[in-house]
Amino acid sequence: MSAQGPATAVSAGHGSLGHGPEDVARSRSNMLFGVRLGIASEVMLFGALFAAYFVIRSDAGAWPPPEFGGERPEILLPGINTLLLVSSSVTMQLGVWAATRGDRGRLLRWMGITLLLGFAFLCIQAYEYLNNGFGLRDGVFGSTFYTLTGFHGAHVLIGLAFIAVMANRARRGLVSAEHHTGIEAASYYWHFVDVVWLFLFSTVYVF
Amino acid sequence: MSLDRRSSPLLRPGLLRAVVGAALGAAIGAGVLMLANATIKLNAQPGHLLGLGYIGAFFGFLLGIGAFRFWLTWASGRQVDEAEEHAAHGTAGDWTRYLRFTTDHKVIGVQYLVTAFVMFMAAGIGAMFMRLELAQPGLLIGKEAYNTAMSTHGAMMITVALISIIGGLGNYLVPIMVGARDMAFPKANALSYWMLPIPVLMVAINPLLGGFDTGWTAYPPLSQQANLGQQAYLMAFVTVGFSSILSSINFLTTVFRMRAPGMTLMRMPIFVWALTVTATLGLIATSVVAGAFTMVLFDRLIGTSFFRATRGGDVILFQHLFWFYSHPAVYIMAVPGLGAVLEIVPVFARKPLFAYPIAVLAFIMIGVMSFMVWAHHMFVSGMAEYFHIPIMLTTELISVPTGVVFLAAIGTIWMGRIRFRVPMLWVFGFLWAFLVGGITGVYLADVPTDIALSDTFFVVAHFHYTIIGSTIFGLFAGTYYWFPKITGRMYDERLGRIQFWWFAIAFNLTFLPMFWLGIEGMRRRVADYPAELGGVNLFVSVMAVNIALSVGLFVYLMVRAWMRGPRAEANPWEAQTLEWQCTSPPPVENFEHIPVVTGTPYQYGSPPMAAIPPSTAPAPGHPAP
Amino acid sequence: MMSQRRHLLIAGLIWAVLSIVSMVLMAGIQVLPEIASKEAVVEDRTFVLLTVVSMPVLWFVVVGMAYSAIRFRSRPGDDGDGPPMHGHVGVQTAWLLVTLVMVLGLFAYGAVGLVEIRGTQQADYEVHVKGQQWEWHFTYPNGATSTELHVPVDQRVHLLIESEDVIHSLWLPALGVKQDAVPGRVTEAYTTPTVTGTYGGRCAELCGFGHTDMTLTFVVSDQPDLQAWLDHLPKEPPSQ
Repeated sequence: MSAQGPATAVSAGHGSLGHGPEDVARSRSNMLFGVRLGIASEVMLFGALFAAYFVIRSDAGAWPPPEFGGERPEILLPGINTLLLVSSSVTMQLGVWAATRGDRGRLLRWMGITLLLGFAFLCIQAYEYLNNGFGLRDGVFGSTFYTLTGFHGAHVLIGLAFIAVMANRARRGLVSAEHHTGIEAASYYWHFVDVVWLFLFSTVYVF
Repeated sequence: MSLDRRSSPLLRPGLLRAVVGAALGAAIGAGVLMLANATIKLNAQPGHLLGLGYIGAFFGFLLGIGAFRFWLTWASGRQVDEAEEHAAHGTAGDWTRYLRFTTDHKVIGVQYLVTAFVMFMAAGIGAMFMRLELAQPGLLIGKEAYNTAMSTHGAMMITVALISIIGGLGNYLVPIMVGARDMAFPKANALSYWMLPIPVLMVAINPLLGGFDTGWTAYPPLSQQANLGQQAYLMAFVTVGFSSILSSINFLTTVFRMRAPGMTLMRMPIFVWALTVTATLGLIATSVVAGAFTMVLFDRLIGTSFFRATRGGDVILFQHLFWFYSHPAVYIMAVPGLGAVLEIVPVFARKPLFAYPIAVLAFIMIGVMSFMVWAHHMFVSGMAEYFHIPIMLTTELISVPTGVVFLAAIGTIWMGRIRFRVPMLWVFGFLWAFLVGGITGVYLADVPTDIALSDTFFVVAHFHYTIIGSTIFGLFAGTYYWFPKITGRMYDERLGRIQFWWFAIAFNLTFLPMFWLGIEGMRRRVADYPAELGGVNLFVSVMAVNIALSVGLFVYLMVRAWMRGPRAEANPWEAQTLEWQCTSPPPVENFEHIPVVTGTPYQYGSPPMAAIPPSTAPAPGHPAP
Repeated sequence: MMSQRRHLLIAGLIWAVLSIVSMVLMAGIQVLPEIASKEAVVEDRTFVLLTVVSMPVLWFVVVGMAYSAIRFRSRPGDDGDGPPMHGHVGVQTAWLLVTLVMVLGLFAYGAVGLVEIRGTQQADYEVHVKGQQWEWHFTYPNGATSTELHVPVDQRVHLLIESEDVIHSLWLPALGVKQDAVPGRVTEAYTTPTVTGTYGGRCAELCGFGHTDMTLTFVVSDQPDLQAWLDHLPKEPPSQ
């Protein structure tokens, strides 16, 4: 019989199922780690969509391709949207800092403003969609435009839902200076959505 | 929502309610669309109905099984019932917990493993139809049926290969192997599993929807044409992708943040390293194919033109996006198997894993380089010429880290004291099969030879040798090896040996002739072939039936052992990884005390260490699952 | 109890003998069933080289496995462990270096072969190829079309390939030509046929239910025979 043992010794350590305060803090930072990983995966999704856009656009030569009519959308509305979204990232971050200080009042206010800014973004985008001279079915120009902005808009909607849920929880007193992981997670997601927009704005509207 | 056992099964979260939920969800999804169609004349096609019905069924199923109830409670701003959350972990001895939303990673691992084997057999039936057609020249079941059988076989087998080891053995073992009590996110873990039944069902029933003939690769423009079965496959594959991304997040968080004290990264078992690399690939690459398949779905359903050449689309773009995921995907399939066999080989050679740090580095390099080789699937596709030579270089280079697996394995068995128990037989089977697969891969990496071999049965033989060699041999090796730990019983060694030889011989005799068939010019994905290849094809078909029969024997011996095999001890193999330091099967919370780790689990041959106090002996009242 | 050195010597000897014998045997084979062009010659040469180089690799692993399985098997009743060999810097380094050099060598050979196959853009004879579900149409320099492909021997042929509908692939095994027909672009292949005769070709990319039957005949002939055949072709394009 081999006299080997495993390379371990047994400690008189954690006998519980992991619900002490140390474990809870650990599990909260695990959550944020997981959220960051999830965002990495979402980045790759947009990567695929942008790759498709760049390839199709370089195949085409003139953009928009003359066969499908339509023109590049005006920059004014998306430009306003960019300001709205960037501001909303700022307000969201201010909310996170308020949460860190335990200031529930300011947290709710900043989250409320973020929600309004995000909602305004979506409204302006909807208006833009209705007034564009081209549709989803107008060849690759419409396909790439609406798919890219549409996926982004869907992510904005999800982000707003997430923030709204967190705002509700904050309102009910379930958020504190020690426990505000959800707020932070929502802010990571929201900043990600904002960065994607900046990229989108430059490549789809400006250049 | 109380878990009161006296209330009707339809009201309790569970499988029955999930099925009802799925049916209701499908009806609502499709019904809403039909209503809208009737009133506002939307011009909905069957594809739209299928799409909305599918989404409804998917969410209905998950709501029915209770996957969302904790999150919904949390989201609505109420306090989660801690006792209920704890009970979701399940209690040992309660077999119904396998049919519920149970958060214990060990239960989820078994769920994945059993589901994977069932899918494996279903996909094997598809292969039987294929081999029936190909047994003789001429047509038997017909071209349409053949293409659908071929596509379904491929789609199901790919799914099995992607999830069986990491979802099954990985889920069960990784938390224990790193000294944790569960995965980082147990509820998300259960959700990952329960996301699977609906898409798997979709793939299984696609013949009823008209089948699809593109193969799992789904190239447009062919995949844009007709046939609802195509859409079923595309939607299902994207869904399975979400499940695996969620699973990857769980694995990576667990490995990087929940290891026991003293377990540095370079003291982790090689199996854990392999699954870490696998999870990273899954996290990064899967969204790309989700994007590509979504674009095909959009082209089919909402009038976009991503891959319609006449409207400015780019057909080859799909191939680039698809293979950018699908090449890393083959490593998602292979690397867990490689990890399993490298974990097993030291135990039965009674020697440390040779060159462990180099093996770790090799797995990482395989992961990194897997993103740089995708276009070797496209050498004759008409893609830009400048891709060919760089991709040929990177593809040749990736054989270097892959070859390190052989360095580690042979270095371990050399001068060892080899015990040929059944898991070790599978390891040797893997070494031969993966060797053949790897060498033949070089012919495909080299463009001049690839021109002759692309789309022939040579390719079919190559990937069956590599994938069956690594994934399936690794799966069998791991299942036999960890069977006593998971079930608390031992399988029959003699029957296991017979099953191994039957499978291994049948497998080799099925696929080895295919190399020759490919060189002789037999194409892939065709229901008929030149008459002079008939004899070899008949032989192949007969051998393929033997593979199926040997798998049948496997199922029989596993079920028999689980039900009435002899009880197994905590460490029947005298192995050194942490899962063998607790009972067989482990208690619900894995460890009474979290261990402190002082070295790698490969200390064979070293001077004996101090005896471990018997605090990990089985506590009374721990029944088998 | 043999020393490690003796084991290595014996196993090494077995490996060397098996490798040399199999390399010699493989060096003289022809892999491709039919070779009728310059490109096919390059491809077959590459096949042979890869096979020869694979032999020592194959035998290394097989001999390693078999020798260990026989010589290092534990005797019944022997419950001991093997020696604590965690690694060996020399072996590891040698392994990595040798495998690296081998694959780089194979890459270099393949790259040279590929450049040779692609050749220059210059051609003597041009044929336009159209793939559609489920047959091929060839248009010749004189404007005539056919479902058969005829090319001249010892001249450089340029094939311009298009598709009407889905992806197809023009595969002419004896000429070592395989190139996808992609809707929305024109792909190309060059070949210099060297042996006259009648050969079979087939579509090599799944293109629907008729893919199995999408085959063609192609003929490599002398210039006079080719001209005679071309003159007999109808000049109007086939009715769609």
